Amino acid sequence: MTAAVKGCGGRAALALLLAIAACTNDPYPQADAGKKIFYTAYGEAPKTLDPAVAYSTVDHMVTGAVHENLLQYHFLERPYRLIPGLLESVPEPEPLPDGHVRYRLRLRDGLRFAPDDCFRLSEPPGPWREVRAADVAFQLMRLADPAVNSPVAPTFVRIVGFVGFAERLDGMRKADADFAAERIDRQYAAAGGIAGVHVLGPRDLEIELSEPYPQLRYWLAMEFTTPVAWEAVAWWDGQEGRDGYAEHPVGTGPFRLAVYDKRSRIVLEPNPSWHGILHPEQRAPGTVYPAEGEPGDRKAGYLAPAYVGRPLPFLERVEYRLDKEDIPAFAKFLQGYYDVTGIVEESFDRMVKEGALSPEMAALDMALEKAVQPSVYYLGFNMEDAVVGARGGERAKRLRQAMSLAIDSREFTRIFQNGRGIPAESPLPPGIFGYDAGYLNPYRQPDLERAAALLREAGYAGGLDPASGRPLHLTFDTQDTSARGRLRYQLFVDAWRRLGLDVEIAATTYNQFQDKVRRGAYQVFMWGWVADYPDPENFLFLLWSRMARSEGGPNTANFADPRYDALFLRMRDMPDGPARLALIGEMRALLEDECPWIELFHPESFALLHGWVHNAKPLGMSFSTLKYRDVDPGERAAKRQAWNRPVLWPAWVLAGLGLLALAPAVVERLRRSR
Amino acid sequence: MILAYLLRRVAYGFATVLGVLLFLFVLFFLVTEPQDIARKALGEKAPPEAIAQWLANHGYDRPRFWNPDDPADSMLVDHYRRMLTFDFGRSDADDVPIARRLREGVGPSLALTVPLFLIEVPLAVGLALVVAFLRETYVDRLGVVLCVLAMSVSLLLYIIGGQYVLGKLLRWFPISGFDPRPAVIARFLALPLAVGLLAGLGESIRYYRTLFVEETGRDHVRTARAKGASEGRVMVRHVLRNALIPILTQVVLMIPFLFTGSLLLESFFGIPGLGSMTVEAIHGNDFATLRTMVYIGALAFVAGQVLTDVSYVLVDPRVRLE
Repeated sequence: MTAAVKGCGGRAALALLLAIAACTNDPYPQADAGKKIFYTAYGEAPKTLDPAVAYSTVDHMVTGAVHENLLQYHFLERPYRLIPGLLESVPEPEPLPDGHVRYRLRLRDGLRFAPDDCFRLSEPPGPWREVRAADVAFQLMRLADPAVNSPVAPTFVRIVGFVGFAERLDGMRKADADFAAERIDRQYAAAGGIAGVHVLGPRDLEIELSEPYPQLRYWLAMEFTTPVAWEAVAWWDGQEGRDGYAEHPVGTGPFRLAVYDKRSRIVLEPNPSWHGILHPEQRAPGTVYPAEGEPGDRKAGYLAPAYVGRPLPFLERVEYRLDKEDIPAFAKFLQGYYDVTGIVEESFDRMVKEGALSPEMAALDMALEKAVQPSVYYLGFNMEDAVVGARGGERAKRLRQAMSLAIDSREFTRIFQNGRGIPAESPLPPGIFGYDAGYLNPYRQPDLERAAALLREAGYAGGLDPASGRPLHLTFDTQDTSARGRLRYQLFVDAWRRLGLDVEIAATTYNQFQDKVRRGAYQVFMWGWVADYPDPENFLFLLWSRMARSEGGPNTANFADPRYDALFLRMRDMPDGPARLALIGEMRALLEDECPWIELFHPESFALLHGWVHNAKPLGMSFSTLKYRDVDPGERAAKRQAWNRPVLWPAWVLAGLGLLALAPAVVERLRRSR
Repeated sequence: MILAYLLRRVAYGFATVLGVLLFLFVLFFLVTEPQDIARKALGEKAPPEAIAQWLANHGYDRPRFWNPDDPADSMLVDHYRRMLTFDFGRSDADDVPIARRLREGVGPSLALTVPLFLIEVPLAVGLALVVAFLRETYVDRLGVVLCVLAMSVSLLLYIIGGQYVLGKLLRWFPISGFDPRPAVIARFLALPLAVGLLAGLGESIRYYRTLFVEETGRDHVRTARAKGASEGRVMVRHVLRNALIPILTQVVLMIPFLFTGSLLLESFFGIPGLGSMTVEAIHGNDFATLRTMVYIGALAFVAGQVLTDVSYVLVDPRVRLE
């Protein structure tokens, strides 16, 4: 420690003098100015880089770039389309006689892990190792491993033998402490592996599911199922000064992690072992820039001839800097030191005018990228409640419909989201199969007169509860005690007051809210959902009775309708097509009438980019598109220089004034003492 | 004699540290449930199974204060056992060993606090000497007013103002950030140093000035002047030297805290030191890290007190510790 400390202190003192001599706000070394480096900020350090556990956007910023997934999303096409990644093709389900389903996966030839110290454990030892089907099986076992504690393990219980493996492993570890200390691959082997995962050869793997689950393919496009080398987990164990595996990913992706000082900077550089770099001649999907996209892509510059068909990646380095506060990060973007940014609320009106880039920013050659996110925010009713829920029968239904008609989500997004969002008419956002831009939910068009009529039908004329003669009292249970949160919820409460209803905001902490949810002691709540994958199932399951909140699932409305459940199960296991679309239409009609949710909006992300950034089309799904991105360092260097000339005259003025102020006193004092 | 005194002092200090640890434990779990910690660590989408598993993996599934089945197995007992044996364990936020975090964080903290300390003390002493020298002129009066003004402004305002004026408007320094590479580290330290100096100088100058002015009225100073010593010699040889005792003891008290870093400066300037680590631990419900930092802070406080006592004895032969 002391050497490091002394070094740091001495270096700091010396460097300080140099800095005062060379006044600059440039946070980067001069030598990097001409390089193809992509700079951006992150607001919070990643928690883990373990692909079995990482689930947040900031984790994926690294894990998505250092791992390539078995499948991936087409960079430009919408609706989302899966294309092969490490696999040779997108696998199709094969039904088995016992109701099980089988997927056969075949890895591409010649895949390698990034060079890493951990491969000294391999047989034979080496600087790197080829990727094998067993590495996929190993990662699936990690998802099951209770010690890894993967947040998505419940999804994979559909794999035959998944739970059995987890239980055997846990039992063996508890019974024998020495076993728990053995090398991880030996532990997994001794526990017998997952019965439904068969390694058929070096590149071939079979996964058997106990029930149809077409959504499995989307999970193959996430890092949760990327191949992981057992050597990496065994070697990077956090012992004897080595990093833990959660900080030292060894991946198969286009980049590798070069610096991981996550409390200040994270640096990625191209992975020389990536198959796109090793074998450009194979022109595998996802290793060359695509030639086709959406209709508007050519005009938007995403299909520039300079890029189409060229091998990826284009960047020579990626620099992420920690900037916890939005405002300084945004200021650095305006200085040209970050290439892209979100928009801070304080500056929104300066940046964006009527949904487009303001003339001031357009003059600086910036671009605004807008994308509706695959997510939905909604107000929900607790369907187990006696007043607003299913037990209230037709009367409660009319009440829910009336309350829905009172809410204007356009007003909400205008006030609280700077207009960033489109009104939601159903749970499905744009870009998801089944979304219908022409559909208008009749209960989601604000209409106070109709709402009042429905209330009358429900027996709450003028919002009065006939039992008490006073306005019907409901609670709006929220988990945000901040002043801002209260302001947001007040908008809804005011809207309902116009119907004569007396809705009280019960703001509690998240835990107290969870407790209320467990006890079923809530009536109205607000919630949001961000998709894991672009399938309608990932939204419509939020109202499936088996996902009920009272059972620990995400169906916080506790909506339980056998008609809906039957439609859902049929829709879930069906490929996209007219039949599926028809089922989704039926489900939508049912939700429209039952009204367990008041759909609010699908948020829209606004990103600002400098003119020197290319190919930054937003994807929305958690899949890294860094390999497609490019920057023009020459243009950037010129702009940075023009924008950041230091203003030095105030320093001289201040120094002069100080001297002038001091001089008479010195003269006077000396005279007096003489 | 002095040894007995010091031992007693250390024993009091130890009791203080034990009390701080208990206070922290009770306060933390008064406002936070272990489930909160788990959910912060695992994210909003984590299913209940994963939360339960996390609690078990991190020892938060045990009784909080008292385990009737096994009195040695409660969260509180474990809390004391770990702290007193310096086995800090792993962060609740990301499972990184806290001892390693401390090693990584102390460098950036010292890179800021040591230059700040080395510049601030001589600068404040020097400026206070000038002000004391110019006592009863407009500079002295104005100086005192400015010092009081400077002391009254919150550090936050200095930080935000410094970032806005020096970073954004005048473009002298990067607004915030940190990079330990020699080519750029100074750029990142310059602004927090300037801000730290501005914020700290007012109080120091005013304090030192009082010491010096008090000293200038003493008999030995008058004698020196009567003997015809020059004004400069009087200020340095007779005033400064004698005022050094209270200065030294105050400065010694600051030394242990150089290691714990500055909470606000580090957080707002993005310096990955121990100060910002503490702030992150508070925001992230990271009890394991927070208690370590509080423990170290308490130890630093006790160490500062003992060191001050010792330095009194060393520099002033009139002081006896009994």
